[in-house]
Parts: sequence; structure tokens; C-alpha cells
Amino acid sequence: MSVEKMQIMGIIGKKIFLDKVLRLVIFNKSMHMINALARVNSTDFFLAPTEKNIEALEEEPFLKPCSQKRDFNKDEEIVKLLQNLFNIEPQIKREFLGQDYNYDDFMEQFYDIHEKVQVVSTRIAERSSAIEKKREYIDNLKYLSVFHNLDISRLTHMKYLVLRLIRISRENYDKLKKNYENIPAVILKVAIEGKYVIVVSITPETLEETLEKIFTSLNYTILPIPKELGGTVGEITEELVKDIEKDQEEIDKLKQSLEDYKEKYKEELKKGYSRLEMEKRVEALKTEIAVGEKLFFMFGFVPLNDVSQLKNEMEKYFGDQLIILIDEVNKTGSGITPPTKLSNLKLFSPFETLVKMYGTPDYREKDPTVFFGLTYMILFGAMFGDVGQGMVFFIIGIILEFILKKGNMGGILSRIGLSSIIFGFLYGSVFGSEEILPALLVNPMENINTMLISSVVLGIVLILSSYTYNIINSSYEKNVEECLLGRNGLVGFFFYLLLLYTIYQIFVAHQSISPVYMILMIGLLILMLFKVQLSNRVLHSNDLNMDFSMNYYIEEGFGIIETLLAMLSNTISFLRVGAFALNHVGLYIAFLTLSQMINSSWGSWTILVLGNIIILTLEALIVFIQALRLEYYEMFTKYYRGDGIDYAPVRINNKIFF
Amino acid sequence: MDKFTVYAALNTKIRVLSKEFLNKEDYLNLLEKKSVADASLYLKENLSYRSLLKDINPDSVSRRDLEDILKNNMIENIDKLIHYFRDDYKKLIRFLYMKYEIEDLKVLARSIFNNKGPGEINQSFTFLGKYSQVDPEKLIKSGSIRDLIYSLEGSEFFEFLIPLIDGKRENLFRFEMALDMGYYSIIQSRKLRISARDRELLKKWEGMLADLFNIQWIYRGKKFYNLAPEELLNYTINFGDRLSFEDRKKMCYAKNTEKLFKITNDLTYGFLFKGEEISTDIYMERRINRYMYYKLKDLSNKSPFSIIQTIEYVWLLEFEVRDIISIIESIRYDLPSEEARKFLVKVA
Repeated sequence: MSVEKMQIMGIIGKKIFLDKVLRLVIFNKSMHMINALARVNSTDFFLAPTEKNIEALEEEPFLKPCSQKRDFNKDEEIVKLLQNLFNIEPQIKREFLGQDYNYDDFMEQFYDIHEKVQVVSTRIAERSSAIEKKREYIDNLKYLSVFHNLDISRLTHMKYLVLRLIRISRENYDKLKKNYENIPAVILKVAIEGKYVIVVSITPETLEETLEKIFTSLNYTILPIPKELGGTVGEITEELVKDIEKDQEEIDKLKQSLEDYKEKYKEELKKGYSRLEMEKRVEALKTEIAVGEKLFFMFGFVPLNDVSQLKNEMEKYFGDQLIILIDEVNKTGSGITPPTKLSNLKLFSPFETLVKMYGTPDYREKDPTVFFGLTYMILFGAMFGDVGQGMVFFIIGIILEFILKKGNMGGILSRIGLSSIIFGFLYGSVFGSEEILPALLVNPMENINTMLISSVVLGIVLILSSYTYNIINSSYEKNVEECLLGRNGLVGFFFYLLLLYTIYQIFVAHQSISPVYMILMIGLLILMLFKVQLSNRVLHSNDLNMDFSMNYYIEEGFGIIETLLAMLSNTISFLRVGAFALNHVGLYIAFLTLSQMINSSWGSWTILVLGNIIILTLEALIVFIQALRLEYYEMFTKYYRGDGIDYAPVRINNKIFF
Repeated sequence: MDKFTVYAALNTKIRVLSKEFLNKEDYLNLLEKKSVADASLYLKENLSYRSLLKDINPDSVSRRDLEDILKNNMIENIDKLIHYFRDDYKKLIRFLYMKYEIEDLKVLARSIFNNKGPGEINQSFTFLGKYSQVDPEKLIKSGSIRDLIYSLEGSEFFEFLIPLIDGKRENLFRFEMALDMGYYSIIQSRKLRISARDRELLKKWEGMLADLFNIQWIYRGKKFYNLAPEELLNYTINFGDRLSFEDRKKMCYAKNTEKLFKITNDLTYGFLFKGEEISTDIYMERRINRYMYYKLKDLSNKSPFSIIQTIEYVWLLEFEVRDIISIIESIRYDLPSEEARKFLVKVA
């Protein structure tokens, strides 16, 4: 129900074990790594001078950051390539990582597979392009079928004449035709295809160059025909078809061999991705590790409950080859801030998100989540008390939490929905209507003053609790000044009480107050003004470099004025709780009036439903924000600092882990 | 819809946009400037370019930056006009971009051919991708003409360029010719649902352009490139206003330039060749542009409320950019302002 206790775990061992130790730590998912050099240099670090520790003690003064940087781009490329080629889903599986392996040897084998596969796939590509080419030949030969039974090789191997098959646009063919008398060639149109005309030209070899220029200016495309084959169009085509079949067979064979590779190496390939991801993570963690001549040093915070498990695992794998240090963090003053891991009852844990939005609690601070959750639910419910609409939120929240797995969002929604339902019964409100259920406690619209006054009273209670909270928190931190003399400490607490009493006496009971109270209040204010001097005097700590010049008094003086204002405004601020409860009813009445103005029953129902949707979305959003505002501004500022570090244990960042 | 509902609003918009053109006095003042910085400053202080150039530093601005800004302004203004059109007319305006994109593509091909890295290119390629919808970055990164052609895959230009890839024909000249021929082939075969009057005007206008470019091409091909008549003919634009295929063929097979002048003279395009031959060589392009400039005004006056006003506006915009850039260039190369003036389109 609070911040979990942490211990610092240190692991020292031979460098050859580093990768494996890191893998194990990543696996265990409980260590929050810290910089090893920072830890070794901190004042409370102590390595017992025993025989086992001798080597470590020798290396301790000469540690360096572990600076090796590896480039995984190539590995990644190959793993991805093979995965795509063999259609393997990238998955990280525990079983592949738990095994004992050496990453480099493992990758070596991967490169081998890649090379073999590469050879096969190039050959497939070659064959495919050969097929492509033969298909093109077949297509082109069709144009020559005008020369029925002629042996095509006789055309392609003429001694003094050159034959070409070309394609030009219709437009350009037109130009050619109109200028035919000047063209040094026989031109035969063999086909028209869409925008293009297919033409055969025959020209003496000596004029070939001139013709080439002319054709170039017509932007021609040459259509290749096979020169090495003889026979009629039909015969050549047949031969080509046979060749294609042969090539296809070859390709099928090659593809089969790829399949074989897949079968053979499937397991290895699957491991590849997992191990690569793990290695990348391991490499990234090394920045936090310090190394000496032969040893490595690593440190991290581990929650108290997980320490023994991690330690046992280490000992199981490595026996006594590692030195495992376990230190308490209670000793303040070691320069490393421990991370905060919150653990709360299921009822309140979703509110951790909202608390963290303001700031993560410090390790030594009291976790405000429970208080926050409780008050937040009360505030929201009081402002938005409605059985029907609360039920809607509750259901949506449950759906989000358990079906869509949006734990925090859904959790908050279902909890505030629940509170809304409870207050709905108290107010007797269902979907805005106050006629269906009797009010168990109070009907807001009929008791406006009660509503407003009780919301202020609620505010006073909450503010007083905030003071109490702060006093407890400061006493935890042994911050005497803040605890007793601070604005939000004991002095502030009493001053606030006196102030409330005074106001009550004057404005409500219409009685004058005795001057003793006035003097007491002024005295308390003076205490606040001189809090630093007083606490120094009491604690005999004059070493603070405080400057007690005019500036200090001006600053503190305004600080006190501000405190006075804040006390009043913070209290008044809680009026909004009552106001929004009224507003909720008011908004419904507006829609009800509108619906009654419409004659058709369909229309009026539509208006009511529409109105409810608006209330559900718009008003709920406003209330959500207002309640948050009250929490953050009126209460958190009094007792909560939130300057801790979030607990982030090392693990592989991947959703499909295990 | 009748032409007035279509064009009344548009023409008003064009008139407003046309107010931003520099006037003759501005041109003369600009010509008198002694440095690029002065000229940029003048433009910056001039009303119509003030907002456009407000972020530049006249002392350090390069010709390329200016060209970029001016061309971007062109796009912005043309895009403004697109909103006034519907359906196929919108496409028609996009066709206007194709011409500029092809110009940019040719410049890019030249710098790739000369092995210039992207950093060294001091041209602006504002229009790349504007018609073809190809990612300009991809085009600029091309390392060779072949790469460039493959980068254009998926665009309408690709089918005209792909025949070039056979090892022998991937040169700059063929690339440029193929693009140009592609351009005219695309605009000739486009099928747009526009009014008969607009279609006629467009045909007249584009035919005239084709005539002029054909004459220029044949003249240059004969004089400078020594191309065979067949090649010349094959590379002519396959439509025209007054020039028929037979006319073009006659011109291509003309024995010498004298004969060529005579034929053009008969077709009332003789003004292109007036004066000495050397001045023809230098000023032919400008003469063509001047002719188009006046012809556009003429057409526009004769057919108010038609597509021609839009075309006129776009061309005038182009002429202005061209003129400003030539002034900047001539200042940079210390050309006397009298000489520089002879290259301007809008100011004689």
C-alpha cells in the first residue's frame, strides 16, 4: 500500500560472464540499473576485505566505463532478409534465450545460411530473367508470322542487308510514311497495337547508320528476335516454349531446395530474431557497467521481494563465481536516488497514472495514491452523482479494462463510475431525472444552500487532511522546519483553524472574538516568517548559506500574504463541488424543457437522449478536469512534491515477450 | 454555363493580379542598377514584390534564390486561378504547368550530364513534379540520365523516355528531344471537355506556337547541328496554325537558309529573319517571345471572356520572371543597359 522497499544489488564477476549475466538480468525483469561508476564512487559503498573479494578490491580504483559499441545493422539486415524470405514471424521466445549460447558463434552460422541461400536466390533470379527474355522473343516472333514458312534465320543472317523489328508511335509512323520517298529502307507495317505501330525495316548495310539516325529521331524501340535459332516462326516458338519449361523446372527445383533450407534451419532462424533483440538490449545496458582489467561491476535497485529470487538464479547459473552484494538504501546521502515502485490495492492502483501525471513520488515520500484515489472518487461522485450515467461509465470502464486491456483508463473510469452511482442514489438522480428514485440523502436542486455549504465543509476537511499529510511526510523526512514551522506544517495548520474559527464567530455567530486569538494568529504568522532562523537555532546548524538580507524578508512577507489569500481561495474553491452537482441537474432541466416544447414524442425522446449524451461527454469531461484541478492545485501543492524516479527494470522492449 | 458566368469573376481576379506586374518605368530603373544587391533591393522596395521578398537579404541573395522565389510566386498565382475553374478546365490549367516542368527537367538533365552534385546546381527546380506528381527530391538525386528516366517512372513522360534506354541513346540531346516531342504529343492527344470557342482559341494559339518553334528548330538544326533533313522533319511538332506538314517538309529539305527565308516569308513569319544573319541568330528567341506577347494581347482583346485571358496572364507572368532574371544576369556580367534591354520581352 505504498512505495516498495528497494535494495541495491551489486554483481561483480569475470568479464567473460558479462553477457550471460546481463541476459539473466534482462530475463528476470526486476533490476533497475544504475551507473556502476557512480555507485562505486558513492560514500556508502563498501566491499568487505575478504579473500574472495581480493581481486575486486584490487581493480576497484581503476574501473572504466564499458565503452565497447557494437554495430548490429548488418546482423539485423540479414535476420530480416532471411525472415522475409522464409516467412517467419518475428517473435521473442524465452526458450531460445535461456539456452547457453555464444552470440557471435551463433551469428556466424547465420551468415553461412545467408550465403547459401543467396547463391540459390541469385540463380532463381537469373533463370527468371531468362524466361522473361524468351517470352519477349515469342511475343516478337508473332509479328514475323507474316513470313509464313520462311526460315527466320535467313532473314536475320543476311549478308548485305539488315533486318530490324521496331516499334514507334502512330504519330511518328505517320511522319515516316509521309516522307517515305526519302527513307533509305524498305518499311513494312506488320501490326498496330494501341498507340504504337510495329514495323519491319530492311536496309543495305551501308545505309544502316543513316537509318539508325532517322529511327532515333522517331524515338523507336527495338524488339529483339533470337538470332541463334533457325526455322520458321512456329518452329522457333516451339523450341523457346520448351526452353522455358526447362527453366521453369530448374526454378522449381531451386525453390524446393530453398524450402529444404527452411525446414533444416527453421529453428535456428526463429532463434535469430530473439537473440538479436536480446543482444541489442545487452549492448545498450553496457553503458551503465564499469569494467576493470578482468572484472565487471554492475549495480541496480531491486525490490525487496525480488532480491532473493534474482540472487538464487544467479547462484544457480554461476555458482560462486560471482560476488553478489546486497545493500540497504536507507542510508540517506548516497548520491543515487532510488526508484519508486508503487504498489497499491487493486481499488486504487489505476489512480497511480493520475498521480504520476503530476509527478512520481520520491522513494522516501509517502505514496499519496490511496488518499488521492479516495478523495478523487468522492469529488467526482459529488459533482456528477447519477445512477444511470454512472452505470454507463462503469460499464465502459469494465469493457476497457478487461476486454480492450486498457487497464488504467478503464480502471479510473469504472471507479469514478461506481462513485457516481453511489452519489446518484444519495441524490436520487437517474439519467438526470429526479423523479424515478427517492433521494436517500439530499435533493440538490431543492437544497441549494445545503449543497454549497457542505461542499465548503468537505473542502475544509480535505485541506486539513492535506496539512496532516504534509506534517507526516515532513516528519518522515526529518524536515523539522517544514514539519513544524512551514506554511503547510503545524503552524499553518493551527493558523488555518484559528482563521476559520474567527470567520465563523464574526460572520455566522455575529460575536466579537477575544484579542487572545488575534495575538495568537499574529504570533503564528511571525513564526512562519522566521522559520529558517528558528530551525537553525534549534538544530544548531548555522552552516546554511542563507542570506538574511532585506530580500529574504520581502520574499517571505509576500509569501505570508500569499498564504493568507491561498487559504481563503482554496477553501472557497471547493464551492465548485456543490455548483457542479447543481449544474448537473440544471443541464438536465434545460434539455427536459426543450423536449417538452416538442410535440412529437419521438422528437422529445431524441432531445432527451441527445441531452444525456452531451451531459455524459461534455459535462463529465469538465467534472473530470475540475476534480483533477482540486486535487492538484488545492491539495497536492500542500503536501506532495513528486520528484522521484519511476522504477524501470531492464527488459526487452517488446510486446510479444514470451 | 455561358461564358460570362464562367469568366466574369476570373477576369476580375486576373485584372487584380495583373496590377502586380512591373511597369515600364520599373524595368528602366532596374536596368540602371549597378549590382545584384541594388537590383534586389529595388525589387524589395517595389510595391508588388515587397511582401514576396521581405525575407531576403539583398546583399547576399543569389540569382537562384530570386528565381526560386519568383517561380514559386508564379505557382502560387496560377494556383489561385485554378479555384475559378471546374472539371476539365482545371486539367487544362495543370497542362500549363507541364511546359514549365519540362523546362526544369531539361535543366536538371543538363546538370546531371555535366556531373554536378545537387549542391553545385545553381538553378531552381521549382516546377519539378508540379505536373508529373513525381517527388522532386527523387529526381534531383538521380546520378545519371538513365537514373533520371527511371525516376520518372509512373509519370506521363516515362513512355516517351523509356525507348532511349538501350545503351546508345541515353544522351542529353535525345533526352531533351524526347521530352519535347512527348510534350507536344500529350497536348495534342489530350481530350478535354471545354467549350467550342475555347477549343478553337487554344488550337489557334498552340498552333501558332508550334509554327514558331518549328521554324526556329529547322533553322537551328540546319545551321548549327547539321542534322539530316529526315531527322529534322521527324523532330518537328506535328501540328500548326499556318504550317502544314508539306510546308515543314519543304523547309527541312530547303537547300540553304536563303530558301528557308523565302518559304517563311510566304507564310508571313518573315519577321523572324529580318536584318543581318547574326542578329537573327541572337534575337530569334526574343522575336518569337515579342511576337507572342503582342499576339496574346491581340487575341485577348478580340475574345474577351475566354480561356485566352488566363493563358495571357500565365505567359506574362513567365515573361516577367524571365525579364527580371535576364536583367539580374546582365547586371552580373556588366552588360550595358542598352544591350541588356535588347533581350527583354516586355519592354522594347
